Amino acid sequence: MSISVDNLTKRFGGLTVVHGISFTVAKGEFISLLGPSGCGKTTTLRCIAGLDDADGGEIRIADRVVSAPDKGIGVPAHERQIGMVFQSYAIWPHMTVAANVGFPLAIRKVAAREVEKQVDDALEIVGMRHLRERQPSQLSGGQQQRVALARAIVGRPRVLLFDEPLSNLDAKLREGTRAEIRQLQRELDVAAVYVTHDQEEALSMSDRVIVMDSGRITQTGTPKELYRRPANRFVADFVGRASFIDVARVNGSGWTTPGGVVLRIDDAGAPAAARYQAMLRPESVAMVRGTASAAAGDTANTLHGRVVESQYLGAHTEYLVDVSGARVKVHSREDFDLGTEVTLRFPAEVCRLVALSDAPA
Amino acid sequence: MSDQTMPVQVLPAEARTRRGNADGVLTGIYWITFAVVAAMVLIPVVALVYGSFRTSAPGLPGEWTLRNYIGLASGGVLASMLTTMLIGLLTSVISIALGTAIALILHRTDFRHGGIVMPLIGLTFYFPSFILAMAWIIVGAPGGIYNTVIDDVLGMPWLRADIYTVAGIVFVMVLHQVPFVYLTIRGPIIGMDPIFEEAASAAGAKPRTVLVRITLPLLSYSLISSFILTFVLTIEQFAIPALLGIPGQVTVLATQLYLLVRFSPADYGLAAAIGIALSLVTGAAIWAQRRVTRAGRLTTVTGKAGRLKLVPLGRWRWAANLLCFGFVFLGLVMPMMILLYTSVLKWFTVNPLEGMYTLRNYVFIWESGSTVRSFTNTLVVSGVGAAVGVVLGLLCCYFTLRLRPRGHRSLDFLASLPFGVPGVVLGLGLLWAYAYLPLPLYGTLALMVIAFVTRFLPYATETIGGQMVQIDKSLEEAAWVNGATRIGGIRRILLPLVSPSLQGAYFLLFMAFFREISSAILIYSVNTAVISISIWSFFEQANWGLASALAVVATLIIFIAMTVIIRLVPATRRR
Ligand SMILES: Nc1ncnc2c1ncn2[C@@H]1O[C@H](COP(=O)(O)OP(=O)(O)OP(=O)(O)O)[C@@H](O)[C@H]1O
Ligand SMILES: [Mg+2]
Repeated sequence: MSISVDNLTKRFGGLTVVHGISFTVAKGEFISLLGPSGCGKTTTLRCIAGLDDADGGEIRIADRVVSAPDKGIGVPAHERQIGMVFQSYAIWPHMTVAANVGFPLAIRKVAAREVEKQVDDALEIVGMRHLRERQPSQLSGGQQQRVALARAIVGRPRVLLFDEPLSNLDAKLREGTRAEIRQLQRELDVAAVYVTHDQEEALSMSDRVIVMDSGRITQTGTPKELYRRPANRFVADFVGRASFIDVARVNGSGWTTPGGVVLRIDDAGAPAAARYQAMLRPESVAMVRGTASAAAGDTANTLHGRVVESQYLGAHTEYLVDVSGARVKVHSREDFDLGTEVTLRFPAEVCRLVALSDAPA
Repeated sequence: MSDQTMPVQVLPAEARTRRGNADGVLTGIYWITFAVVAAMVLIPVVALVYGSFRTSAPGLPGEWTLRNYIGLASGGVLASMLTTMLIGLLTSVISIALGTAIALILHRTDFRHGGIVMPLIGLTFYFPSFILAMAWIIVGAPGGIYNTVIDDVLGMPWLRADIYTVAGIVFVMVLHQVPFVYLTIRGPIIGMDPIFEEAASAAGAKPRTVLVRITLPLLSYSLISSFILTFVLTIEQFAIPALLGIPGQVTVLATQLYLLVRFSPADYGLAAAIGIALSLVTGAAIWAQRRVTRAGRLTTVTGKAGRLKLVPLGRWRWAANLLCFGFVFLGLVMPMMILLYTSVLKWFTVNPLEGMYTLRNYVFIWESGSTVRSFTNTLVVSGVGAAVGVVLGLLCCYFTLRLRPRGHRSLDFLASLPFGVPGVVLGLGLLWAYAYLPLPLYGTLALMVIAFVTRFLPYATETIGGQMVQIDKSLEEAAWVNGATRIGGIRRILLPLVSPSLQGAYFLLFMAFFREISSAILIYSVNTAVISISIWSFFEQANWGLASALAVVATLIIFIAMTVIIRLVPATRRR
């Protein structure tokens, strides 16, 4: 394992912000830490980097214990051989682009000529070689981001750490850079931990995503698992768009809505909880006009409702449909007027049972 | 929305006349302020320039001449110019190194005693320079404590040292300037975004490399700015080079000016020319400092503070302790102990066991009319003068930063001019001016107040202006839109918002006036002697005991006032 975090705890004063979390990242694996603002993603990353001291648990990088407060081990950041990209890039304003990128090598007393060569290579990779003599103040945000990336990879780190590196870029640039970062990481074949609160970024880039909430891990899984089979309402809500219908178990097997409609639900492997909801992704629900009833032998669920809100988004329109109290989001390319009576159809596979934690987050 | 704007629209005529009258009042106040500041600043400067072209003493008939400027090129003046520069540069270099080191230790490492050292350095900052110098004379003079111990107790005469030398002056000067460096550097250090240093650690740099390659370069503008200011404060320092240099015949420009005026053969004209030369140097340095600060603002590192992991001192902890506590000991604790000791001795002796102890010096302070008067003079000058200074500073800031009427740039320039004029030079200018002006100011406390307010007006405008620029103009405009006059807006909106800085400025000026000696030394009279002058006179008469007792009392008043004010006025707590 390239990185292994075991029962990591971090406190600021009396406030515990990371509550004993554990995960591992294999060599070459790309992992995202995803969660709402303040959930402890940055803190976790900084503990791995050694910029913050953990209060409990153990962190290993390439099988070397770098942090184990119980045993008095705390390897300082500069000995951990990491490459890190900061949210604000942290390009040193008093050094040129080349000096910034060459810094990790220069301080290791690498020969000047060798530094030159590796800096050129690194800048070439991020497409910034022509700007090597520029001052940071003469760079755009996107260019600074690339310099930060080059600086992170130039010293051949054993792990790459990213703290929301794309959040200061505009949407277009962001999409392009996602792919580049991922490709770069694959070529270097190192473990990467990527902090983000942007679920699209996490889904599109990662091998696995760790969803965090209030200093705890709520679910770990591949992007597809998270999207299709979220463990609870929090994850379902945070990853992608979703609507929820309260459901209760009737006589042991089936599920019904409060309105008494029986739903066929994918409830395989759902965790035990006090209350449950059925989760629907808006793009997997079909909507037709009128109150057509299900044909015999049709295994899909049908619900009747009325369009109460619509939001035109270009590629499709997002409708909010009132289904006897529950509000279901539906994406459709057809036009419906407000107030239209409609029928919703969705197969059991896309109707996923999620646990509802009683204490709202 | 429209309902709310109605009243304003209904009353246009009335509102306009009301506003018009108020503007008239403000214009009047503006021109009065302008005239007062111009008079305060320009009269001594013009008088000084005038005097530098005259052959005679102030008030006596004489002729126009260039002799004084030719005199600047004489060997004596050139030598003091060189000594001034040497002391200035050495002091600034050492002070910057020590002050920055202390600031880094206190704010970037896991130093354990910041809670004790920080307030002590604050006290050292307010410890008057002439009292510090006196204490070190008692210690380091050829017959002082140190040399007596070296000779008689240890018997190692090769360790003898003399405080009446360039090295001695630099030593005491450094003790005096380090707190200033610390206070100017700590802000940039605390405010620096730690992300740059963290990025360097993550890139593999050891703490020392981070310091040398990242932290110090990022602080460079602040360091240069602090260096120049320290240089200016050092070369315009009067008390330390006078007390230590005159006995050992080490002469700097400020003391040469003083000697030329106070001792015969007096040469007021040459003194004036020296004053102008010295002011040109300090003025040029301050101009350079402003340029540096402005250039530095572009790359100034700002951002959230406090996240940075503190650098472990590890096996260097002893060195950090030695530096911080050593400095506080030499700059504050030991001088105070020496003065206390000297003040209770009947006759000075190095051996505490041989001392005859007495409280007669303190009794004398209490019973003597002259010392009591110098205390009351000081309290009046400091209390009233600081109020005058704050009012004037507030008016200057309002007109130069807010109203900006015609001529506000000139007002700004005039108000900041005293920064470049050393205290003794200002005193000499006033001496020249009030020998001619038909104002009965000479020999009054009012002249002291004028001198002190003029000298420290830039401190007031910096403190108040610093806060005023941060208050958005729209807050006042909102008041106008809601029907307030300009003066109403000032009274109801601006004044309450800047009041912390007014309190801070008052505190700063009070402390500065209480300690001030350089601008008073040439213009005091028997009746207007302030406490600093009294201490000085007793010391010059070799009455160490009385001088020490007065110094102890004055220092205690300063420290008590400081503690009380810091408790009472939250705005001063950040300083
Ligand atoms: N130095 C500190 N002192 C005290 N509390 C802190 C400190 N740093 C972070 N915290 C707290 O720890 C919690 C987690 O912070 P962290 O920066 O890890 O959040 P995050 O998940 O990265 O959020 P964001 O998406 O906003 O960056 C927050 O509640 C924050 O207020
Ligand atoms: Mg964060």
